[in-house]
Amino acid sequence: MPTETLLELADLCSGYGSTPVLQGIDLSVQRGEIVAVIGRNGVGKTTMMRCLIGQLRAWSGSIRFKGNEISSRPPEVRAHLGFGYIPQGREVFPRMTVEENLRVGEMIGARTDAKLYDIVYEFFPILAERRQQKAGTMSGGQQQQLAIGRAMIGNPGLLLLDEPSEGIQPSIVQDITRVMQRVNRELGTTILFVEQNLDVILALAHRCYVMDKGRIVAERSAEELQDREVAKRDLQI
Amino acid sequence: MTLRDIPVLFNGPQTLGRGKLFWLGVAAVIVAAAIYPQYAERFAISNTAYFGVWVFMALGLGLIWGYGGMLSFGQTAFFGLAGYAYGVIAINLGAAHSYPFLALICALAIGTAFAAVLGYFMIYGGINGVFVGIVTLSVTLAFATFMNQTAGPQWRIGRARLNGYNGMTRIPSLSIDWLDGHRIRFEGATFYYLVLGLLVVTYLALRVLVNSRFGNVLVGTRENPERVELLGYDVRRYQLGAFTIGGFLASLSGALYTAWGNFIVPASMALPAAAMPIIWVAVGGREDLTATLVGSFVVLYVFQALTVVSQEYALVAIGALLVVTVLIAPGGYVIWAVDMASRLRRRAGPSPPLSDPALKARTQRG
Amino acid sequence: MTAFVYQFLAFAYQVADVFAFLVLAAGGLAIIFGMMGIINMAHGEFITCGAYVTTALVRAGLPLPVGIVMGALFAGVLGIALERTIVRRFYNRPIDSLVVTWGVSLIATQGALLVLGSAWTSVGTPLGSIGFGDYSFALYRLVMLAVAIGVLVGLYLLFMKTRFGVHARATMQNPAMARALGVPTERIYAQTFGLGAALAGLAGGVYAPTLTLSPTMGTGFVVESFVTVVVGGADVLTGTAPASAVLAIIRAACTAAWGQVFGLIGLLVTVCIVIRVLPEGFSGWLMRRRA
Repeated sequence: MPTETLLELADLCSGYGSTPVLQGIDLSVQRGEIVAVIGRNGVGKTTMMRCLIGQLRAWSGSIRFKGNEISSRPPEVRAHLGFGYIPQGREVFPRMTVEENLRVGEMIGARTDAKLYDIVYEFFPILAERRQQKAGTMSGGQQQQLAIGRAMIGNPGLLLLDEPSEGIQPSIVQDITRVMQRVNRELGTTILFVEQNLDVILALAHRCYVMDKGRIVAERSAEELQDREVAKRDLQI
Repeated sequence: MTLRDIPVLFNGPQTLGRGKLFWLGVAAVIVAAAIYPQYAERFAISNTAYFGVWVFMALGLGLIWGYGGMLSFGQTAFFGLAGYAYGVIAINLGAAHSYPFLALICALAIGTAFAAVLGYFMIYGGINGVFVGIVTLSVTLAFATFMNQTAGPQWRIGRARLNGYNGMTRIPSLSIDWLDGHRIRFEGATFYYLVLGLLVVTYLALRVLVNSRFGNVLVGTRENPERVELLGYDVRRYQLGAFTIGGFLASLSGALYTAWGNFIVPASMALPAAAMPIIWVAVGGREDLTATLVGSFVVLYVFQALTVVSQEYALVAIGALLVVTVLIAPGGYVIWAVDMASRLRRRAGPSPPLSDPALKARTQRG
Repeated sequence: MTAFVYQFLAFAYQVADVFAFLVLAAGGLAIIFGMMGIINMAHGEFITCGAYVTTALVRAGLPLPVGIVMGALFAGVLGIALERTIVRRFYNRPIDSLVVTWGVSLIATQGALLVLGSAWTSVGTPLGSIGFGDYSFALYRLVMLAVAIGVLVGLYLLFMKTRFGVHARATMQNPAMARALGVPTERIYAQTFGLGAALAGLAGGVYAPTLTLSPTMGTGFVVESFVTVVVGGADVLTGTAPASAVLAIIRAACTAAWGQVFGLIGLLVTVCIVIRVLPEGFSGWLMRRRA
């Protein structure tokens, strides 16, 4: 399979107010890959995700998606270009039903294939079961599945997952990990995720970047990731 | 406390202007205002006093909105209530002895008490900024509507007819009898000096107030109520205090206005009158007493000059001024000018540290 | 016995009349407040605008319903223009948005006084009335009630059954997340503001035949609409509608007992009590009970 760069960050800097957080991020993601960005709490992983989707302005550097510079585009445009964002803490719309939450993920102007709903409901049967339930009344794991399904309804080329395992019981984490693998394999969706949970990283990532103090400090190939101890050390940098 | 400590009372983080030069300027303005009646015509003196009468209401709104962060459209309600109260009491008691002065005191008490009750329901009801605006405006407009329909002989309190839309007229001027029987009637230049004296006292007292712990807590509440509450302050008490003092100052304006013009009408509280205090305070700068004071006088003067052409044109112009102000200088032009000046000075000189903490906070926030 | 029935009927008619007025007067304001958290102080001027456009078109020979619809549309377009030029700069400064729309309201009212003069006579109420015993009921008042209920049903369908509704509610609950999912929140804000303004225009058009038109007529609606929004809270369907019903009963009762002005004062006293007990209004209270 010929590799094609889907997402490329070069010297990306950003932060909150006048406090810099990202101090020059360089990374790239090939089409069809599952890439992890790992690191301790507070090294800037979530900041990078928010900068990628456009909730946070890039101070300098570039974000190229399918070869186009998008760092000055607003979030809704990036969503239309093919970003599917699953934020930390899920952020489902609590006073709307499961089905309505999924409908928010539909793109205005683009035709939404009814098949996408079938696929989402097939991947996450719990969502089909609870179609009419208010999202705010569901458990953390169910909300996480809803957040992923909601992003998938937009038929994205790239899923951005921010700490998918956070605050979710281990059995559900395993389910979600398996589904993400299927999404990648069966739909060909590229996935970039940030994570601290070693099991999820090892099970899901084809490749990973290690982040510390707002910079990428190491890159680990699939082979290196086979060694549990390496990844463990990376998480403790 | 020694004499040296006194400046500390008047200066602090919540007011602009502190050095010798500033206070010399203040003194110069007071002196100029004091000798002004010697050189001006009768009408001009009375007109300047008329401007001054409104400024109490503006300073009160500055305290509530600028320092306390609660946008109140209720100032003209307190103004009107105190005005009507003064009228009703003064007409019933008559102009003899110190009765009009007694009427003034009662009017202030009534207006202030009303502000306190309204403030209690809002602040202890825990309603937020935008809602304070619409509740106060609703009360103001309802009060004006009520007074508008008090035409007819059944609407009288004692000897005072309320007269609905046309308002109360022939209200006695303010006067007071000294102990030796000498009578002072506050009309013309005497009224002017009364207003000037009250303004100086009010301005200085408010400076002391906002630079005291009260002011710091109030401003802290505007910026971050949760944090101030964590420090152990009951923020609602301070907000209610500010709202009540603001109501008192609006009442002072109302009672003095009624005594000055010998009449009061419902239109002085309804729209568009209710819009005026907001404009005076917003244009000059609501977060500083001096800015509010200067801005109010300037806007009052400009507005009157425009009214000569037509009332409607003047109101359109003043509305446009408000919109433009909020769009380009949300803090008000006086504050904006001070910020610009300090920025220029910083760029020119070898970056002297900003001496004024309030200014510093402001530039950082901006 | 029949006297009692008629009396009850008369009271119900009063309640329905006030209910319709409150829903129509407050609906537009509540929609804008619910979505953007700002209070449009120029609300009354959009009502005035609808009334004038309607009256002008009816005088030009168009049927009243067409005039009302055109009045609503015209107000809606003006609303979108105001949102695009000014209001959108103030979404993170709610208090300033109050001040700036207040300035716009002042300009609009006084500008209209200059251009349109002080008063137009109305086109007259259509339909006439029916009598029951000693009482007579204007049929047009029943049309107003129907329009008010129609507005509520329409808003329900719009917000619950359409894609716009789903996007609008998502934006209301979490604008940043909605945006990240591709919802053009700025356009939703503009459309919502336009919808609010159009509803105000509709209210103006519906009431135009019953009132003397003047540029300051909007003031006659604002107190009631503010009161309804304060009591109702941020949601039109779970807030404005029940608040209108409760306030209508209170107002009709106070008016019947002591006269018009005390009807208004009764409303204000109710507001003071409600904000002391339910600071987030009916809808906030309902939301917390259900959660």
